[in-house]
Amino acid sequence: MRKWLARLAVLGVALLVAGQGQAALAQDPAAGKKIVRVGATQAVDSMNPFLAVRLVSTSIHRWMYGFLTVPDSKTLKPSPDLAESWTTSEDGLTWTFKIRQTKWSDGQPVTAEDAAWTFNKIMTDDAAKTANGPAVENFESVTANGQDLVIKLKAPQASMLENPIPIMPKHVWEKVTDLGQFSGDQYPAVVSGPYIAVEHKKDQYVKLKANPNYWRGAPKIDELQVIFYDNPAASIVGLKNGEIDLIGRLNPPEFEALKGDPNIVQWNQQGRRANYLQINHGATTTDDKPVGDGHPALKDQKVRQALHYAIDKDKLVAEVQNGLAKPAHGSIVPPMYTDFFWEASGDTKVTYDPAKANQILDEAGYKKGADGVRTMPDGDRKLEFRFSIHTDTPIEDKLAEYLTGFFKEIGITLTTKKLDSSKFTEETGVTGLFDIAISGWSVNPDPEEVLATHLCSRRPTPSGEGGGTESFYCDETFEKLYQEQLKELDRPKRAELIKQMQERLYTDAPVIAIYYTNDLEGYRKDRIKSVTSVPEQDGILYGASSFWPFYSLEAVEPAAAEAEGGSNTGLIAGVVGAVVVIGLGAFFLTRRRKSAADDRE
Amino acid sequence: MTAPLEAVEPAASQAAGPAEDHRPARHGILRYALSKAGGALFSIAMVIIGTFFLFRLLPGDPVRALAQGRNMTPEQLDMERRRLGLDEPLINQFLNFLGDTLRFDLGMSYEYKRPVLDLIGDRIGATLLLAGVGLAVAVSLGIWQGMRAGWRHGSRFDRFSTGTSLVLWSVPTFWLGLLLLLVFGAYLKIFPSRGIQSVDAPDGFGYVLDVAHHMVLPVITLVGVVYAQYLLVMRSSLLDEVGQDYITTARAKGLRDDDVRRRHAVPNALLPTVTLVFMRVGFVVGGAVTVETIFSWPGLGQLFYEAVRVPDFTLMQGTFMLITVAVIIMNTLADVIYHILDPRVRSA
Repeated sequence: MRKWLARLAVLGVALLVAGQGQAALAQDPAAGKKIVRVGATQAVDSMNPFLAVRLVSTSIHRWMYGFLTVPDSKTLKPSPDLAESWTTSEDGLTWTFKIRQTKWSDGQPVTAEDAAWTFNKIMTDDAAKTANGPAVENFESVTANGQDLVIKLKAPQASMLENPIPIMPKHVWEKVTDLGQFSGDQYPAVVSGPYIAVEHKKDQYVKLKANPNYWRGAPKIDELQVIFYDNPAASIVGLKNGEIDLIGRLNPPEFEALKGDPNIVQWNQQGRRANYLQINHGATTTDDKPVGDGHPALKDQKVRQALHYAIDKDKLVAEVQNGLAKPAHGSIVPPMYTDFFWEASGDTKVTYDPAKANQILDEAGYKKGADGVRTMPDGDRKLEFRFSIHTDTPIEDKLAEYLTGFFKEIGITLTTKKLDSSKFTEETGVTGLFDIAISGWSVNPDPEEVLATHLCSRRPTPSGEGGGTESFYCDETFEKLYQEQLKELDRPKRAELIKQMQERLYTDAPVIAIYYTNDLEGYRKDRIKSVTSVPEQDGILYGASSFWPFYSLEAVEPAAAEAEGGSNTGLIAGVVGAVVVIGLGAFFLTRRRKSAADDRE
Repeated sequence: MTAPLEAVEPAASQAAGPAEDHRPARHGILRYALSKAGGALFSIAMVIIGTFFLFRLLPGDPVRALAQGRNMTPEQLDMERRRLGLDEPLINQFLNFLGDTLRFDLGMSYEYKRPVLDLIGDRIGATLLLAGVGLAVAVSLGIWQGMRAGWRHGSRFDRFSTGTSLVLWSVPTFWLGLLLLLVFGAYLKIFPSRGIQSVDAPDGFGYVLDVAHHMVLPVITLVGVVYAQYLLVMRSSLLDEVGQDYITTARAKGLRDDDVRRRHAVPNALLPTVTLVFMRVGFVVGGAVTVETIFSWPGLGQLFYEAVRVPDFTLMQGTFMLITVAVIIMNTLADVIYHILDPRVRSA
């Protein structure tokens, strides 16, 4: 008994000490520095930009390295970054970039050599292609002369100014023998951007310090930390108790959990993601042979349009997304990209109208049977569709419920099919074993990437290799417009072509956009004085294809914030620890007396 | 646990003559241990072979999974496939896998592009710390409460501790962890929400304190959900002893109640619990996938969870093999130790 008391006392002391440790922490050397801590629900896959593909990693690399061009923080149009200016040859095949006179963080000058080495490395070394291979696919050659970088293309490419490849310091990275196996963990990193990575504890955090010699001027904070959470709910707790200051990419329930905290700003703005239904309109492989088991009725454009009329998008936004999205009256480019967004109007616009949907189906000969379910005009196959969604996604479950209700109104039965994500990708992108599937895409400032997912060449090959199609679409009009926009270097004219492509997708309905989810984030206003989104005012903080939000961060003066937060926590922990020990001690003392009495009886 | 066939051998040698009782017995233990080790090796071999095919049966193509949400041309996908060696016939993949595994080369992780063994090396310390402390606390708490509850069977303490532990045992780990996180993390704000250390952790003793502070909630979750099994096993085996004649004898000698319990009843009742503990030690390496995930604890469980999400075949294979091999080795040790501790098993 006495032994146990002693052990309890030790435990209590340990608790006390742990609490005091926390108090000591508040007074550590970090105090006095302006630090902003960003939470991320993903861990860094690699600090080597040639390999990294996760959003958290590419975001960090955007804060560390310069690019040829970056989207302007107001208009999202390509604007100068490491390339000060550029010219294009008449035929659009030769691009000459003037590289800015500036220095790497180790003092070496930045030259066109660095850019040329980076691109050539990706073009010639298969291992270096992992992250950004497609971005140099169209490059014929890249050469450097002083500060001039000359890129020769195989074919004209209007999205040249949207190149996603960070320019790496040649003098550091050419020493790496096997890029495919290099983790990039060398600190401090040699960078040309606003922040220098100084420490990476795998699956825990990345620490970045302000680059005092950044050519736009040093950031206004001293240190930026990215802290990883495996569990989104824990990251909300982290924001509430002040372990992190900002967290992005929240889903509606997480976002709503932040409500009511006076220190937290709920950031709810238009987002970059389009959510759509993918309709199996007759999936084929690249040699035009049918593949999969899609329902024949969906090959009929009229049926697809009827489905579109039957969907109440306002209701979906209100009930499935808790109002935190915009109903889609366009296609796969969300409205935040004002230059490229196409919105349906007039006769083309599809609004919720089940009567009209029924009328379309009646006229097309899909008669309702005794059970209220329609059948094919030329047979007795019923209009019973499967809806493929992912397992463990409550929001998709809810969406399925609503769609089932909507389609029942027009005599169509919908059953839900849940698949784990790799099986889902396979069935809806390669083997064509689906009728209707949920899908979505986070669109970049230049929509070329998302448009390309609906090209004929993206369908799977006859041997069953997936090409990354989002719809199995293969449409002459769409292909022609895509080729034209590639060559069109005049931005307004190109935007016009891109809008026509969206209109084509909207009316032919191989995909039906349902809503654009909002960008939901949260940050502590007792730590972050100001932060600018991209685009400014109503854009994205974390996950934008820009260094801007985290470069523009301003922190609240640290002294006040630190003194309150940290040491109080320690004190409370200590007090609680002490109370627990005394309480338990008292409890066991009384127990002990009692058992001693028992012994004596 | 003990295969009856193998246990026959020492018994047979005993039958040779009671005079030689001692030496053959020790000899017997050695032989017994060796045969157990042989069995373990066989199991490990089966695990290695099974692992390869098991993970090939999983639905989904890892290359497609890697390409998810990204723009990749068919040529690029082909290249990825070649890089990962997935274009070779299954039998070649299997032979390569066997050869590599025997050389302790667990391959490169698809997702992290680093050797699996390195990744495991990075994580194993955190897991051993968390799961080791968790096991130690759960075992001592369980044995202690089980001992008292069993000794005063039906008392208020018995009903209270058995009830509490059973309620916690039935609670899902995930739920308990989240609840603790909400109460102590979000509302009371006395414990951190994630990880093994603060980003700006001090050095030296301060670092130890920092880690201890981060460990409190994960350990409570880990212990809360499992300690009931030690409590119940201890309680019921003590109950078995209480009615025995030797206990009555001990009491009749006028020994204090505490002494009867400590010197006579408990040592005899401890055996099943010891076996249970050894069985559990093997799982320490596997960590606690759920707890590590809730608290973002950078251990093996979290690594395995990540690997399954991708799916990252080589990483899954590697962690899975490590965990199974650890369990097999620990079970074998448990068998052998049980053999040494309990003479009844030897002569069985």
